Amino acid sequence: MATQPEKPEVPDEKLVRRAQRGDMVAFEELIGRHRDKIYARAFSMMRNEDEATDLSQEAWVKGWQRLKQFQGESSFVTWMTRIVINLCLDQLRKQKRQRAESIEHLDEELGGVERQMPTVTVNPTEGLERTELRARIDRALNQLSYEHRTVLILHEFEDLEYKEIAKRMECSIGTVMSRLFYARRKMANLMAGYKREEMS
Amino acid sequence: MNWEQQLELQAWVDGELSEKDARRVAAFVEANSTARALAEELKMAKAFISANEPVMTVPETREFYWSQVRRRIESAEAAREVTPVTPLAFWWRRLVTPLSGLALVAFLAVISFNSFRGPALEDASRFMVEVENLSEDVGSISYRSQSENMFVVYLYKKDQDVAAEAQADSFDYSFFQ
Repeated sequence: MATQPEKPEVPDEKLVRRAQRGDMVAFEELIGRHRDKIYARAFSMMRNEDEATDLSQEAWVKGWQRLKQFQGESSFVTWMTRIVINLCLDQLRKQKRQRAESIEHLDEELGGVERQMPTVTVNPTEGLERTELRARIDRALNQLSYEHRTVLILHEFEDLEYKEIAKRMECSIGTVMSRLFYARRKMANLMAGYKREEMS
Repeated sequence: MNWEQQLELQAWVDGELSEKDARRVAAFVEANSTARALAEELKMAKAFISANEPVMTVPETREFYWSQVRRRIESAEAAREVTPVTPLAFWWRRLVTPLSGLALVAFLAVISFNSFRGPALEDASRFMVEVENLSEDVGSISYRSQSENMFVVYLYKKDQDVAAEAQADSFDYSFFQ
């Protein structure tokens, strides 16, 4: 007996148009499709499950409220990702005002820490399964300060240029370059450290 | 390698340099082993990070997650309905308020000009200037210096109510599209 062909998935664009007309069922479907991606971005920035859930939900609320502004110049999920990033940045700024600057941060501003790091010459990711590699990257991301992590996420995961990152983070391009440099070098050294741990 | 050279090297790895600068840095990397090692490390880090973004899943069921989002949407919409901002009130705040501020400035400029010119310039204190601000949204602080023959009025915007702020919020998310 021949199996019935699978019902083709309704494209995002069509669901967005329906949601723009007030169709909540269509919006729910969009959330169902992309909630993990939006949550993941919030989590990668906040490093906290509750905050990531809260901010990702807030992003969907904003998305619904501003849906009419969405003109389809980028994909819907890219647009939503930018919304959640902005919410996370706002939240991180609020938190920053409440806590003291770390010693590490001060060192970085002086351009000292990264200069003491040895250059990693052997690829520390070689031979790793993808799942293990992602877990290690996640662990290393956790070791960075929020400023370094955010610059890295915006550059490597969101593909934003220095200028755009500076605008989003309300800092100079020089600061973005300095933070990115430190973050990359720290990540390479942390990954090399994990590799050494594994071998010893 | 100094700090600037290291950052420039990174900008080269990221393709952020002009063609001319990129050629110059490429030649430098070719000739300098330290720069070459650093460039390799930066390229490697860039590659393994960007290709391996950690995967996460929402720690709640789809139904529960949606019910929470829906509740938030509904309560936000209910809050808007409680404090509706009529189009008239909206345009009043957007247009009439700044215009009334301008009118106040013009009025004060004329008064000040008439007060300080002529032979009585040395005795500005004879002219009493009363600043009357009828606007609910624009506040004013005045300062008068007799020695400098100067009268300054500083205008500032008073806090708007939250609902009007939400309406007037011009943040454009389409910028990211």
